[in-house]
Amino acid sequence: MSAATILVVEDEPEIRRFLRSSLASEGYRVVESANARRGAIDAGTHKPDLAIVDLGLPDFDGKEVIRQIRAWSPMPIVVLSARAQESAKIQALDAGADDYITKPFGVGELLARVRVALRHLKRTDKGSSTLVLGTAKVDLEKRRATRDGADVHLTPIEFRLLGCLARHLGMVVTHRQLLSEVWGPSHAAHTHYLRIYLKQLRDKLEADPVRPKYLITETGVGYRLLSDDA
Amino acid sequence: MMGYAWAVGATLSCTAAGLLMRGRFDLVNIAMVYLLGVVIVALRFSRGPAVATALLSVAAFDFVFVPPQGAFDVNDAQYLLTFAIMLAVGVIISRLTQHVRARERAQAKLEAQAETERVRSALLASISHDLRTPLAVMAGASSTLAERGEQMGAAERRALAQSLFAQAREMSEQVAKVLQMTRLESGAIALARDWDSLAEIAEAVLRRLRERLAGHRVIVELADDLPLVRVDASLIEQALGNLLENAAQHTPPDTLIRLRARPAGGEVVVSVEDFGPGLSDAELERVFAKFHRGATEGADSGMGLGLSICRAIVGLHGGRAWAEQLPGGGTAFRFSLPIEQAPDAPVEAAA
Repeated sequence: MSAATILVVEDEPEIRRFLRSSLASEGYRVVESANARRGAIDAGTHKPDLAIVDLGLPDFDGKEVIRQIRAWSPMPIVVLSARAQESAKIQALDAGADDYITKPFGVGELLARVRVALRHLKRTDKGSSTLVLGTAKVDLEKRRATRDGADVHLTPIEFRLLGCLARHLGMVVTHRQLLSEVWGPSHAAHTHYLRIYLKQLRDKLEADPVRPKYLITETGVGYRLLSDDA
Repeated sequence: MMGYAWAVGATLSCTAAGLLMRGRFDLVNIAMVYLLGVVIVALRFSRGPAVATALLSVAAFDFVFVPPQGAFDVNDAQYLLTFAIMLAVGVIISRLTQHVRARERAQAKLEAQAETERVRSALLASISHDLRTPLAVMAGASSTLAERGEQMGAAERRALAQSLFAQAREMSEQVAKVLQMTRLESGAIALARDWDSLAEIAEAVLRRLRERLAGHRVIVELADDLPLVRVDASLIEQALGNLLENAAQHTPPDTLIRLRARPAGGEVVVSVEDFGPGLSDAELERVFAKFHRGATEGADSGMGLGLSICRAIVGLHGGRAWAEQLPGGGTAFRFSLPIEQAPDAPVEAAA
């Protein structure tokens, strides 16, 4: 695989320093921008494969960079947020970011997010419709699900929810995104629908619904689908 | 308003008492009863009601008891003197009472300031302990790596770097807790409430604390009929996480920790039960106090804030947090959240 280029938009030089060395140690090419204005320009000139954007930038909001990039590019965007920035995080995701990581984070965590996001980029090209979730298998195209070899009945809405999560496999999807895609924008605030349906999906697909391994809750933000092939 | 009602009530009561005394006692003694009424009202209320009682008392006394009865006869200089004395006593006592009340208020304010001061010094003590120790470790480990790293084996270098990482994480947790407590205290937190599932909150917190709880056996018991709750999920996640961290920190490794949630009356009760050594009755309440870390705990860090943050968060949601001894030994830390009427569930035609 040719080395992917990663744009890092972060104002703290010390944080840029360790991001640079850890990303470079994984073989990525790194482009750095110290503020939002620069970040939006560098995204255009360097055409990176992925952007890491800090939400607390000094000149203007990280969200603005995300919007500007999203206006012309589907590149994966991972945001860095401080704790207690719950609403900023959700706004960034709704503005088009694909995932987030909360400071302080270990580099292992960050590299895992980056790998998932880059893989996502490749997957959307070929498109895979079968999910392997432990002993459960879901064919999203044929709308068939099995667990331990036995058929499992999923409702149309359950398939749609899984489909929406699967399009962002390994990444977080906000409540608003899920509700708008599955029930329509007029239901975007009906979070309790998700609680009910995710419980049903876990009961049907997870071996231990109380400690799910695939249908993961991101408290206050949304959900993340993991799978054994991702 | 209340004070004037009392003025009328006191006058009526004194008149009734006076009527009972009439014939057996002198008029002077009946006047004393009225004086007692004035004193009582003056003690309880401000000057207005006291003066009103004095006025009403003199009028009633004059009208009911002083001959000619059933008519006012203010010409009698004696009773003008009675009135003057009653008025003076009423005014003096109500002023004295006001002074005493003002002093009490000032005293309460001073005590509140002293409490703030106590919390502040406890905060500083906590910061200097909880932050300085990891800082010392970090400075030592990182300078060793920077200056002596080349002379060391790879395993040794890695161990130092890992301890650096662990200490930094721990410190960041402590700082976050101090900030959170400050925010909760200043009332600067606006709840982002939404319908949420305690099962999902429990799942998320167990994942977040996986490493911290790895040394304990954790079992989860959630009632099947657990209703959705309308909460700020990230705050409730912290509240529950603090209870779990507390249980892991204060019980020996391998102790059983049980996380439970069940509806009870109009509430959901969430419990973290540990089968550790348990707490004394006195400690059960004290553990929720800010910066309480148990004088005997020595180097244990962190205890100071977790439980009081939990209590503050749950309180914001209209719930309670408390601790109980478990019958077989061990402690249950519980909090309750009110159950509200959930909105209608989506309807999906069976496919």
